[in-house]
Amino acid sequence: MPDITFCKRCLYSSVHPLGLTFDGDGICSGCRIHEEKDSLDWSSRWQKLESVVQPYRNRDGRNYDCIVPVTGSGDSYYIVYLVKQRLGLNPLLVTYNKYFNTPLGIRNLANLRIRFNCDILYQNINPNSVKKIIRGTLRRFGSIYWPILAGQTVFPVQTAVRYQVPLIIWGAHQGLEQVGMFSHEHEVEMTRRYRKDHDLMGAEADDLLSIFDTLTEEDIWQFRYPDDDELKSVGVRGIYLGNYVRWDPKAQHEQMMRDYDYRTAMFSRTFDRYDYVDCFNYMDVHDLLKLYKHGYSKVTDHATREIRFGRLTRDEGLALVRQHELAPLRFLDQFCEWLGVTPRSMQFLLDQHRNRRFWTKTEPAGWEFRGVSTMQDQRNSEASGRTGLPDIFKANDKLEYDRNLDYVTIGKGWP
Amino acid sequence: MGIVDYGIGNHASVMHSLRDIGFRVRVGSEIDVLNDVDVLLLPGVGAYPTAMKALHQHGLVGYLQDQARAQRPIIGICLGMQLLASASHELQYTDGLDLIPGKVVPLTEPKWHIGWNTIECVQRDSLLWPSDGQAFYFNHSFAYQGPPEYQVCVSRHLTTLSSVIRRGKVVGLQFHPEKSQAAGRILLKNVVFGLAHA
Amino acid sequence: MLKKRLVGVVTVKDGWAVQSFGYKRYLPLGRPECLIENLDRWGADEILVQVIDRSVDCQIPDFELLERIARLGLETPLIYGGGIRSVHDGVRAIQFGADRLVVDSIAHDDPCIVRGLSEQLGAQAIIAALPLSLHSGRIEWLDYRRRCATPIPEDILSLLETGVASETLIIDWTNEGYPEAFQVDLVKMFPLSAVPLIAFGGISASRQMIELLSFSNVAAIAVGNFLSYREHAVQEFKKALAGMSLRPPVYESTLPGLTDA
Repeated sequence: MPDITFCKRCLYSSVHPLGLTFDGDGICSGCRIHEEKDSLDWSSRWQKLESVVQPYRNRDGRNYDCIVPVTGSGDSYYIVYLVKQRLGLNPLLVTYNKYFNTPLGIRNLANLRIRFNCDILYQNINPNSVKKIIRGTLRRFGSIYWPILAGQTVFPVQTAVRYQVPLIIWGAHQGLEQVGMFSHEHEVEMTRRYRKDHDLMGAEADDLLSIFDTLTEEDIWQFRYPDDDELKSVGVRGIYLGNYVRWDPKAQHEQMMRDYDYRTAMFSRTFDRYDYVDCFNYMDVHDLLKLYKHGYSKVTDHATREIRFGRLTRDEGLALVRQHELAPLRFLDQFCEWLGVTPRSMQFLLDQHRNRRFWTKTEPAGWEFRGVSTMQDQRNSEASGRTGLPDIFKANDKLEYDRNLDYVTIGKGWP
Repeated sequence: MGIVDYGIGNHASVMHSLRDIGFRVRVGSEIDVLNDVDVLLLPGVGAYPTAMKALHQHGLVGYLQDQARAQRPIIGICLGMQLLASASHELQYTDGLDLIPGKVVPLTEPKWHIGWNTIECVQRDSLLWPSDGQAFYFNHSFAYQGPPEYQVCVSRHLTTLSSVIRRGKVVGLQFHPEKSQAAGRILLKNVVFGLAHA
Repeated sequence: MLKKRLVGVVTVKDGWAVQSFGYKRYLPLGRPECLIENLDRWGADEILVQVIDRSVDCQIPDFELLERIARLGLETPLIYGGGIRSVHDGVRAIQFGADRLVVDSIAHDDPCIVRGLSEQLGAQAIIAALPLSLHSGRIEWLDYRRRCATPIPEDILSLLETGVASETLIIDWTNEGYPEAFQVDLVKMFPLSAVPLIAFGGISASRQMIELLSFSNVAAIAVGNFLSYREHAVQEFKKALAGMSLRPPVYESTLPGLTDA
């Protein structure tokens, strides 16, 4: 097994599933590209954005100017703010129902469309198909998120084709932000290749059909990407605002909390309280699977991001990672019940995906964690105490909002 | 479809193309496998003498000659097309299968034919006519020379060379239809269907 | 009429597809198979997979990668380069599904092996890669393992002149990955005007491609990084190159409607 290489600056290592390269100083590609945030001329990049969107403005007002994919969290508020308020475009929002919706997420999404006064399209795929797919992808890939990622990344593209609205505006490019997959100056755009390779772990809808004999055409056709000639005939094009705007999720969320009443909540598995508040499982069983398979979890992504922005030192980030990454799950029983799997079978399924590189079985039924954080040293031992770690994210609400802690499988929302 | 496997070349692309079109495909060198299909496909890459030696070693030379006489459809691709001829001068003089009389000679000026080139039908053959003027991928440095009655399509690259030859139900394609994307799929489908139902 | 070609290049390092900048900086891209399959669907005229850490680490060619690529059932010609050190390596790479091979360091270390490959597989299957740069108005060749640049060795020139390799891949290695940076003098000043060339390295704009394709000895343009920044990159370049004797762009449709006999 090849040795793991660690970045000297952030908490990422060569096990990152998106790929990471290192330069001669031992600094990773993600950190190097992050440096561009402080060296690029963002006002001229904004001018560039204006010129990119200009041809898509509908002068006669008879169609939308663009499609904006949104959820009840993520950077959705900031994206809609930039599109509507700053660029003055007329967007059609689209959202894909993930089933595991928290009441807070439903509330945030409703608030989003109301506060920004936008039209919105919802897509919901029938629960039978979604559950069949998840049972297969959980067993085979250790993923419960395939239908959500597939739906979120294809529904906007299908809508662009069906409604003949060519421009799709996304927020940040995950590959760029995490591992520096591209320079901001490459102005990378949405591609089917990236979706298959990274969002869908190498398997598109038709691949699932060949992999799983439990699935049929009617289960997966909705997740199929439009053909190249359909994309071409409408001129579909997806751009990322993060190429033109100095993307800083923490600062952006706080601005949206202040100005547009975006509401946030605490998680046990991370210190970030702004993102993923719309899903019961993303920071729960989905995050645990990440830890099982890759030896690190979302809190490391959050800590790395804040280290790069200079709001946490590397030691503080590492301490926060160690504090959160082994926190127990809170919503697993609900997921078992929804999927129709007993908790015991579920744990068996989950355990199949423990990467032996990071997990050692101990007798009788335990596991020892030897993940990425256990291989990294604290440089300054004074920062390793639990007290005194920065508490820089604010939660102003709870996941259950004013309801029970139950999935809102379909919710139109309420103010 | 039966792909004749004599240990030369990689069959993945041609299998994929054929299956994509909708044919069932078997790969093998055993007579009972090859007897069980409607159309035989003879692929080939590399040197002529090596390929003929491999065909002899698998006992396939006599078999293929018998099948051609019995009007079994046979399609030869690239080196496979050249093997259908009477002989080749590549490296040393080597006898071929002699299913489509003619010889294989080195290309001169230029010494190879690489890339996408169009084919022109010089005979009205219903299997190939729909592909007239389409571009296919060529990658060879030897070419067939033979009687004009066997030449269905030619391609031009400074000189004129045979790109498709045919005698009865034996067809030779100098280019790689399995590496020629949509045009290749369409041509393969037409040729296989046409030969199987002729 | 024989067309000119747009070749899609996938660079592989540590098993990962990467963008390469000036032969020294790399950014990750993803699974090589995903990029290759994408180029196939886009209708690239050839796909070149170069595994760049093989010769440096003295490893054999990446036959496992070729096997995985073969399973994709590509309908586009595949060129493989990386670690070919013997005739046996080359023959095996072809058996694993490559249509043509790129040889780099072996052309200098042991030209006999290249001759052997040419005899076994045909010169059409052999492409010689020459990383070149300009220094004081002269063309220099890079031995990338030793990281030193010298005039193009005579033995390599004679290999090319005698047609042992059918085409030469000229790599502007200092400029690869940088937009519009390819130095056209590398083509203009190349000593053998009869050898067909494939230009590669820092070609990102159709203006450059038009200029390069207008040279009669330029048979193809190869593009790597710049095919990964937008959808339909191959088709968009081909559209801009209409009239430069390339195959026209193709936008795949999975609806039935094939032409029948």
